[in-house]
Amino acid sequence: MIGITNYAVYVPRRRIRRETIAGAWGAKASPGCKAVTNFDEDSLTMAQAAVWPLAQPGVEWLAFASTTAPYWQRSAASLIAAACDLPAEIATADFSGSLRCGTSALRAAFDGVGAGSVRSAVVTAADCRDGAPESAEELLFGDAAAAVALGREQLLAELVASVSRSDDFPDEWRRDTDIHVRSFASKYSLTRGYTENIVAAGRAVLAKAGVKGEQVARAALVSPDGRAHLAVAKALGIAAAAVEDVRVTDIGITGAAMPLFLLAQALDRARPDDLVLAISYGDGADAFLFRALADGGRLRPDDGATEFPRYPLYRKLRDWWRAAGGLTEISNVLLRREEHQNVRLHGSLCPQCGLLQFPITKVCGSCHQHGALTETPLARRGHLFTFTSDFLYDAPVQPTVMAVVDLDGGGRFLCQMTDVDQAAVEIGMPVELVLRRMREGAGDHYYYWKCRPAPGGANHA
Amino acid sequence: MPESIKDKIAIIGAGCTKFGDIFDQSYEDLLAEAAFAAFADARIEPDRVEAAWLGTFSPYAGNGKASVSLADALRLYGKPLTRVENYCATGTDAFRNAAMAVASGVYDVALVAGAEKLKDRPVRGIAWEGGHPYQHDGLTAPGVFALAANRYFYRYGADRTALAKVSVKNHHNGALNPKAHFQMEVSEEQVLKAPIVAWPFGLFDCCPTTDGAAAVVICRADMARQFGANYVLVKGLGLAVTSGRPWYDAAYDYVGFAATRAASEEAYRMAGIRNPVGEIDLAEVHDCFTWTEICNYEDLGFCPKGEGTHFIGEGRSALSGDLPVNPSGGLKSFGHPIGASGVRMIYEIVTQLRGAAGARQVRDAELGLVHNLGGPGAVACVIVLGRS
Repeated sequence: MIGITNYAVYVPRRRIRRETIAGAWGAKASPGCKAVTNFDEDSLTMAQAAVWPLAQPGVEWLAFASTTAPYWQRSAASLIAAACDLPAEIATADFSGSLRCGTSALRAAFDGVGAGSVRSAVVTAADCRDGAPESAEELLFGDAAAAVALGREQLLAELVASVSRSDDFPDEWRRDTDIHVRSFASKYSLTRGYTENIVAAGRAVLAKAGVKGEQVARAALVSPDGRAHLAVAKALGIAAAAVEDVRVTDIGITGAAMPLFLLAQALDRARPDDLVLAISYGDGADAFLFRALADGGRLRPDDGATEFPRYPLYRKLRDWWRAAGGLTEISNVLLRREEHQNVRLHGSLCPQCGLLQFPITKVCGSCHQHGALTETPLARRGHLFTFTSDFLYDAPVQPTVMAVVDLDGGGRFLCQMTDVDQAAVEIGMPVELVLRRMREGAGDHYYYWKCRPAPGGANHA
Repeated sequence: MPESIKDKIAIIGAGCTKFGDIFDQSYEDLLAEAAFAAFADARIEPDRVEAAWLGTFSPYAGNGKASVSLADALRLYGKPLTRVENYCATGTDAFRNAAMAVASGVYDVALVAGAEKLKDRPVRGIAWEGGHPYQHDGLTAPGVFALAANRYFYRYGADRTALAKVSVKNHHNGALNPKAHFQMEVSEEQVLKAPIVAWPFGLFDCCPTTDGAAAVVICRADMARQFGANYVLVKGLGLAVTSGRPWYDAAYDYVGFAATRAASEEAYRMAGIRNPVGEIDLAEVHDCFTWTEICNYEDLGFCPKGEGTHFIGEGRSALSGDLPVNPSGGLKSFGHPIGASGVRMIYEIVTQLRGAAGARQVRDAELGLVHNLGGPGAVACVIVLGRS
């Protein structure tokens, strides 16, 4: 038996109301809001945040899927694996090219687990597609990530059946040179592309499992618009109450992340023995049927969100990276040598006095023991020891909050604070470390840790 | 017990340029102006100098690069010249190295020059070259000290009004000083209403970026009389260095600088000072930010930890107080060309001890203190100077 052992989602904390976007263009607003990345987030950082709770020892395969990977060439999966402190002896893979890339990776992972080549795998999908200014996509597209862990033991849901379809249907694409999605959004695309493929895949997977649509308890059906999936469910004979909310009114159409996001959501709402159907679409369709083996209830409610009050700031942050600079060329020798410290977040533990310290050192900062310190992972939560709100530093949103953090279990850390209103910062507040994109430099992206308020913690100075 | 430098070194000449936005003079122009003023004051020809130390923090466009910058500025070739860089304690550490060399007996007469040309640089503020490329990204010079000020506020309940009093005082003193970068009074209200740079520091809590140079000529104390009667003696010297990345030290409490405490203890030991506030007549301390000056009162032993806000509040550090601090106007008002500042502070104390400070003259100035604080409070240098 193979199936899903865990799942997680990540939704950035910024929101923008569709009426705010539409209002900027004098257009008619569609309802709700969408989740959008902060200026220091991208698909890689969102995926890392989704993978982190699933990054248990024993993961042997990690796949990253996105149509908005920050690199054409450089494995986001490998960087995510390092940032999640997974061992070097795992397989990593990057999937792209289609909104179906998340489920392509899921299918490959199930094949690997099923064949026994890997015992446990994690698949993450993330997207932060930027709809062109004044386009329908600008109103619809939201940013998010999801991750699922697969294995053979301690399953939350077993895989009952899966099918795939391939269809080079010309409805939506981005060339290698395009920043924004191009599409033939039309009734023709919707019926002949989206609906036909999803219904065919759905029918096939139900037939393969020998069940009827009405037996499906939770249906995670991707949607291009927040409506079309309802007709698909009807065609498959799935009860309206079983259809997962596609979150278009509070998160948006999240591209490659959507199938895994909705699958996680469906599993979270499932009861034991529920049949859970998940179907993705993009140049074909992938369908998976699961039987839930345990209650969900693992996803925590969304953290507090911050709304963009006005459109120009949203647009500025969306475009900022294309012109961002600031860091000078960085030695790849230094980047490599410091990977365990700066990416894996390891410090040094002194065997003599027990002090856990950052950065990695040969000499203990307290008792000056030399040579016997051992590399030790740092906790990624802590409390704010002191801070400043800096208006001098050149950042796209001022001020930059700089934070000194006492990490739980030892180690003191200096970093920027993100996803925060400076008025809400206070000494003693609980924070978590998050991987973010720093300034650009010498033709590369640089990722490092920032902190942000941690929900649910107690103040401790 | 190691020896003291007390009364072994005499300052026989001092010079200082006008500080400010010196757009029409070069780094070498400023260095030459300060050095030749010091030579004239010491009544020596440049060739009389046997060795020289140059303090420049941040070379740009070749200016301040190695000791050749001093050699070319003065056309002083074939002598042992050394460039010193030790964060914002660059100027005082250059002086310290020169003093140690003369005290060793190897040289009789030496020059110490500090210069910085911040307004020639293509970026605003002070660049942190040589730091980690991204680990500290977002941390600025005011930000470093603001991290400490906020923790100090949290611990001792102080607020921005105490900081404003430092700015008002130093601007008042600077207004009396024709060489100061800013010669204008500011009100407490102006200081408090200024735009925030890095909370809790507003614009008037921060020293400016400044061009300037200063120089002094030193010699063996037993030779000093050959050059005139107007010399000043070194009574004590201390330098201490702590971590350049204190933010990773979980034991660091952010309410004071151990480097200042250690450097001043050493300088006081050499000078035989047991009661700083009672014995020292005036001090030039490192007020890169207003809070830093308050912290310095405490670390230099002028008052107990946590009571620096009372020290400024009660007017004790004012020109008319019992221990005037920064009679020159300080970094806040006189300006802060980094490598020049420490030497400029020595110039100010020499001027005060000679009774030549004009409108800002501190009465009965016999014993003066110079204090530089560099990096994130990591490099402190304290020099005690006395009149005979």
